Amino acid sequence: MTVKELAEGLALECVCMPEPDREVEGGYTGDLLSWVMGRAQAGDAWITIMSNQNIVAVATLTDVALIILAEDVRPDPGVAELAERKGINLFRSPEAAFPLCAKVAALL
Amino acid sequence: MKELSLNILDVAKNSVKAGASRIVIRIEEADGWRTLSIIDNGCGMPPEFVATVTDPFTTTRTTRPVGMGLPLLKLAAEQTGGDLQIESSVVPPTGTTVRARFKIDHLDCVPVGDYAGSVVTLIQGSPDIDWLFVYNREDGKSVSLDTAEVRQILGPEVPLNLPDVLMWMEGALQFETEQQ
Repeated sequence: MTVKELAEGLALECVCMPEPDREVEGGYTGDLLSWVMGRAQAGDAWITIMSNQNIVAVATLTDVALIILAEDVRPDPGVAELAERKGINLFRSPEAAFPLCAKVAALL
Repeated sequence: MKELSLNILDVAKNSVKAGASRIVIRIEEADGWRTLSIIDNGCGMPPEFVATVTDPFTTTRTTRPVGMGLPLLKLAAEQTGGDLQIESSVVPPTGTTVRARFKIDHLDCVPVGDYAGSVVTLIQGSPDIDWLFVYNREDGKSVSLDTAEVRQILGPEVPLNLPDVLMWMEGALQFETEQQ
């Protein structure tokens, strides 16, 4: 399933989608960035409530397919532009991480 | 990072890389605040680099495009209502000071963790640097270790990264109640 298809399936709000055709292969959730950095896998949909520029760095390092900001969290100023520049797909949702995870799992 | 000790390990490596011959790592707890200072006499950074150093896409690494040591320390401090300050100078070469403040009773304040283990790991990796470690706890207890002093006692022929020496130093950094 591509990022674009997953985003439509979950009715996510798009912050930026520089790589819509990226394949989504799994999922990960976590907010402690150093922890996520060592565990999220390439191609994962990463669900988090963290919103600063470091999430773009973690996404770059782990090569996740997209970031989903849960619970209506908004990216900090400048983060959307940074994500676009670094080729990171970034979305947001009003739902909490748990139901989002369940839906991602059901779709994949 | 789940522990401040892991941040220390990451950030102190920058000082080693800056060619420092003396590195001071100090944790001071007072009035509800924990302040971590990492002070080196290395090559320093020009002001334009200091301004961007907490941006994760700024790094001197060549193996990957992202450096997370200082960005994560800054995040950890700010999550508790604290902050991170960096002072550095190339001309004159006065080295670099990184200072992070944490509000101790904040829910998102991570524990100090295995401070002695991190210290010993750093000494093991760079035994020829003069390391000074000081931890003054809020309860008034404190531990410290000065490797220049240790070297003087042991003599120049004993490297500090011998297993027995490392174990002794790790023990010297334990607070009394933690000792077996």
